[in-house]
Amino acid sequence: MNAADIALRNATYRRFVELGRAPSAPEVAATLGAPVGAVLAGWRRLHDAHALVLGPGMAELRMLNPFAARPTPFRVEAAGRSWYGNCAWDAFGVGAALHADCTVHTTCPDCGEALQVNVRDERPDQEGLVFHVLVPAAQWWADIGYT
Amino acid sequence: MLLFRSEEHVERWLAGRTPGTTISVGALCDLAHAWWGDRLDPDWRPHTRDQNQAILDRLCLTDPFWTLP
Repeated sequence: MNAADIALRNATYRRFVELGRAPSAPEVAATLGAPVGAVLAGWRRLHDAHALVLGPGMAELRMLNPFAARPTPFRVEAAGRSWYGNCAWDAFGVGAALHADCTVHTTCPDCGEALQVNVRDERPDQEGLVFHVLVPAAQWWADIGYT
Repeated sequence: MLLFRSEEHVERWLAGRTPGTTISVGALCDLAHAWWGDRLDPDWRPHTRDQNQAILDRLCLTDPFWTLP
């Protein structure tokens, strides 16, 4: 990953947080004063480097891990806004990335009961819940959507 | 990567499938802060594979399940 791609990646994340949603390629291009085609080409290199995840058309953001670009079953309230994580790990990562207390909302996949965890000063307010990882670390990027 | 009410709920949800691994929500919180804490830093640089593995090791996630490629 070269310096220009890192700068594009950091600008994309910064715009995401400013907007509270995924920016489009034209929005990031306007921020950088760069052609839209250059942003899209850079996003594709960053996708290949696992620095972000694009949607099926390779022109829209799907994941800026830990943030999800679309609603998911992992909603997070932090820094005065609602966000979405791509999974339970990412949901807790949203507060970590924002350096903010947060509240994670999801449901137990087994029974469907609503689960809410408040994280204050990096500690959850309950300890009884269990995080399950189905896919071994060596295979996480084989299909990141499934992981 | 899902959150469950308890180990019993994980087992029932798996319905006979091969389980992965589980950690407590407290350990998940530690992992999330160690893994994602720098993602919005203005001078963010990509983690190397060894840096990421060191995070897992520091949190005692040393089972082969947690070995990165």
